Amino acid sequence: MPHSEKKNNLTIKYLLGVGVVLFLGYHSVYFKKLDEVKNVANKKFDAAAYAQKFFTSTLTPQLANASGIQELIQLLTISKDQAFEKYAHATAVGSIKYFLVKGTGTITAINEDEVNLQVGNQSLTLATEFIYGNAIRDATGLFDITTFTNTTDINNVSAELNKIVKNKVIPPFRAKDKVGDNVVFTGVMELNSARLNLDNIEVIPVSIQ
Amino acid sequence: MINYLWQLKSNRGIVFSLAFCLLFLGSCSNKNTSETPKKMAIVISTLNNPWFVFLADNAAAKAKELGYETKIFDSQNNTALESDHFENALVSGYNAILFNPTDAEGSVVNVQKAKAAGVPVFCMDREVNSADAATSQILSDSYSGCVSLAKYFVKQMKKKGNYVELLGLVGDNNTWARSQGFHSVVDNYAGLKMVAQQSADFDRNKAMDVLESIMQAHPNIDAVFCGNDAMAMGAYQALAAAGKADKVKVFGFDGAADVIDAIKDGKIAATGMQFPKVMAQTAAIYADQYLKGKKDFPQKLPVAVELVTKENIEDYAAFGKKE
Repeated sequence: MPHSEKKNNLTIKYLLGVGVVLFLGYHSVYFKKLDEVKNVANKKFDAAAYAQKFFTSTLTPQLANASGIQELIQLLTISKDQAFEKYAHATAVGSIKYFLVKGTGTITAINEDEVNLQVGNQSLTLATEFIYGNAIRDATGLFDITTFTNTTDINNVSAELNKIVKNKVIPPFRAKDKVGDNVVFTGVMELNSARLNLDNIEVIPVSIQ
Repeated sequence: MINYLWQLKSNRGIVFSLAFCLLFLGSCSNKNTSETPKKMAIVISTLNNPWFVFLADNAAAKAKELGYETKIFDSQNNTALESDHFENALVSGYNAILFNPTDAEGSVVNVQKAKAAGVPVFCMDREVNSADAATSQILSDSYSGCVSLAKYFVKQMKKKGNYVELLGLVGDNNTWARSQGFHSVVDNYAGLKMVAQQSADFDRNKAMDVLESIMQAHPNIDAVFCGNDAMAMGAYQALAAAGKADKVKVFGFDGAADVIDAIKDGKIAATGMQFPKVMAQTAAIYADQYLKGKKDFPQKLPVAVELVTKENIEDYAAFGKKE
């Protein structure tokens, strides 16, 4: 092989080598604007907005499908498993479940933290102070936990839904409630399937008229 | 470099032969694996706490029932030791890891290492701060459990009084989930004043020392909220030693045997009952399902926590419900 041809081949090899190094180098490193990276990192889940949308678009349309509380309690007495299977929901694994219920009753007592109602032959309380927990979030069975990866976000949805009820549903009711008034309500209640207690039914109202 | 590539090209036949041999050996190895029993490693943050021993034993029992060999590794609340356990588990050919992390941040790297090695990790009770490192995280719903506990706390305290909060390990997410759940309720009542908040690392003796020290500065307290039952028992001991056990209400979290007895005896006001057996068994079942082909699991699976008080204590036993 002539010397010049050998030199040319060597040059091509070096050029190819440099090309490979540049190709690998370019595809090994990615550049992004620092602002973009910071924006992604700071993009927080807006639990209040999510809760408001859930309350309006998911929970409220479901209120019409709530179980009549007297009929549900009757079913729970006769066939507990069937009642839980058909009407109860919960995001967490375990025996605590939530029901979406409705009814009409008469106010029998007004206390600092709750209002007592008589619904047919069933007495119950409407919670007006302790509006906490996951009942409002979970009772419809339409809250999809699989779309969340952050536990705090899941908890904050409950907290924000509870705030909506505490701030918007309860005050107008408490402003004019009187013993003897008739009340039409839709709400959520928590029951433990392993230790069913139907003597102290408490409903968190989602809508009261 | 070019010369090296050139040489590789010229030795292409040898390279292909080697690759073929490796593939052949690999297939032999797979064949052997399918014949040997599959194994699950159970890596636990600490076995110096009966609650975690119960969790580990139940995970091992369920895995064995499903046909797996098991070994329990104790991380002794030490992420470096935990890392060694993961190395050992991966080198020893464990097929899945049932994991109770030591540190939500510090344990992420171990889970990622296992994932990179193709070994699925299922977290039990404690989580790691990563949305995709573990295959699934089966966790007590600590936040909601403490919301229930806090409602009871507010009612028992009649919405007023001074209280102390004893936190668990600051690196554990459960510590903050419990504290946040508690405060999401209690902070709405202006009459309830937290006079001190301090970590006692989920440790009974440390809780006793910490509360003794706090009571020197704040002798007039009405309640102590503790992030776990071990600390609740430590707090009770400190109060008993100071002659204040009858005046100060103590609240715990876990459902440990001594606290169940203490609630019956009126020494502890309430606890949040976790269900370690449910978490351990679910983790083992998920791992088995994964190894049999299922790949779709919820990233976070909360397990409900139940409020235990003197009113319903007869329904519960240590670490769960009465059978």
